[in-house]
Amino acid sequence: MVLQRNNVTISGRGTRPILFSHGFGCDQHMWTEVARNFENDFRVILFDHVGAGRSDLTAYDSQKYSTLQGYAEDVVEIGCELNLTDAIFVGHSVSAMIGALASMKAPGMFSELIMVGPSPRYINDDGYVGGFSREQVMELLDFLADNHLGWSAAMAPAIMGNPDRPELGGALENSFCATDPEIAREFASVTFLSDNRADLPSIETRTLILQCQEDIIAPIAVGEYVHAQIPNSQLKLLNATGHCPNLSAPDEVTAAIREFV
Amino acid sequence: MSLSNQPPTEDLEDLYENAPCGYLSLSPDGHIVKANKTLADWMGAGSEALLGKPFHDILTFGGRIAYETHLAPLLRLQETVNELAFDLLRADGEQVPIIANAAERRDAEGRHRFTRITLFKAVERRSYERGLIEARSKAEDAVGLSLETAALREQFIAVLGHDLRNPLSALTAGLGLLEKNEDLSDRGRKIVAEMNGSLGRANALVGNLLDFARGRLGGGLGVDRDANQPLTPALEQVVTEIRAIAPDREVVANFRIAEPVDCDRGRIAQLASNLLSNAVTHGAREVPIRIEASTDAERFTLSVANGGAPIPAGAREQLFQPFFRGAVRKSQQGLGLGLFIVNEIAKAHGGTMEVSSTPGETRFTFTMPLAR
Repeated sequence: MVLQRNNVTISGRGTRPILFSHGFGCDQHMWTEVARNFENDFRVILFDHVGAGRSDLTAYDSQKYSTLQGYAEDVVEIGCELNLTDAIFVGHSVSAMIGALASMKAPGMFSELIMVGPSPRYINDDGYVGGFSREQVMELLDFLADNHLGWSAAMAPAIMGNPDRPELGGALENSFCATDPEIAREFASVTFLSDNRADLPSIETRTLILQCQEDIIAPIAVGEYVHAQIPNSQLKLLNATGHCPNLSAPDEVTAAIREFV
Repeated sequence: MSLSNQPPTEDLEDLYENAPCGYLSLSPDGHIVKANKTLADWMGAGSEALLGKPFHDILTFGGRIAYETHLAPLLRLQETVNELAFDLLRADGEQVPIIANAAERRDAEGRHRFTRITLFKAVERRSYERGLIEARSKAEDAVGLSLETAALREQFIAVLGHDLRNPLSALTAGLGLLEKNEDLSDRGRKIVAEMNGSLGRANALVGNLLDFARGRLGGGLGVDRDANQPLTPALEQVVTEIRAIAPDREVVANFRIAEPVDCDRGRIAQLASNLLSNAVTHGAREVPIRIEASTDAERFTLSVANGGAPIPAGAREQLFQPFFRGAVRKSQQGLGLGLFIVNEIAKAHGGTMEVSSTPGETRFTFTMPLAR
């Protein structure tokens, strides 16, 4: 049930599990380029958050997913289902915090946490620079209302009902990022209005922070803040620019993860 | 006017610069490396002023985030992205709504060389789309509100029905005392009998209201089925009552119930009573009302028939909906709950209601299996 709900896909010839978790925007395909570099010597696990990609949309519950804890619960459930211990969690963007919350919920499940472009809070606050103003976040939510990004209600059954028939989804324009606009809007609010600064000092898992250049979503100052707050953490500045090094510089991301684990 | 038959030659440089759409090329790290004059004009700047800028700089904030979280990843994954709605941000702060298609230009080794974007001004289309979104959310609000109103109305009905029962019982008791203990004139007895008939009708209406409210608010009509109790006396009682209420109407009853029927006798009597009341109200006065009930090896069937104008075909489908009332004189109108409750009782017994209506006869037929 859990594995279908989150469209979990498992590959690789190794035994140590490495779980890749996508952020706000698209789905597990965000990790394809990086994940394939681990297939020789790891057990590679990819999944879609509920509401994204080919997850079971009927499992979407506005109440449960109104906080990142709801998403973290799902990660823990996937981990339990697959009996994960001493696994590596790699989370992009908002999934970095989701992974951190999951590691606190289930001690021992993850022994390494890799945060790619994390931010514990996007909105500026008294002395804290998150990079966004509240008005800007509201503007983003309006923007999402104008862009359905290939979502068509008529095609929804093809995406949600048939995870085993991916060719149905292929007919969709922009299918990797096609999301029910209502869910996209809710995920955006949860993401960009979240504040998990207080959780950072309690993260006991060994953590690597991968920080990009010129990332308007997670600026360097935020990466440095996260590093300063998580006790057992390292900060690595990548040459990659933008917010998605997993797609724009998969080799650099791969090398950084390998060096750390 | 040219005398030559040669078609004019298109100037590709001019086609690029002055095309009826904007052209933009980005380096892989998202900086503008080429833009045409059309786009520069929309932006209120020369093309040179755009060169070297990050694409971010000419987007609104929402657009920047969408570019990072959706457009850039999608382009990497599938090379092209179509029909994105963006607002461009001019230097003077004005916004230009556009629709854009984008494609990655890759070299022979698959390396990303440029991102090419074609932009169309979409001022009117975007305001139209926003109008649609607004209209939809208004419609959703309106539906929500009317559902709320409907729920309140149903609660009101339940409370009203419940509260009416007490004064009605007081009236019934009072009339009983008058009938038994007072020395009434002939005229007085006649009036009391008529009042009793009216009270019976009022009680039936309130009973229907309460059943409706229970069905709606409490999830279905309750039935208490028992195959060991005889059904015929309960039906005979209903016929006696209706004859008392409508003494000028002929009611012909024919009951041949040979098998035990696993039913709630009170509910089946209520079903028969509702059907008979309808027949009295809507049927032709000169045609007898017929009530028939019988069993065969498997089923119990009860039907009530009356004469008069047939029910229009269009109305037949809605007959069993709550609050449906046919075209009858105002003074005869009930709440329109009788047949709804008849149908609910039928369903609660695993049975069905059918109606046939011709110029000669209108007949309602209830059928249910003898046993569960």
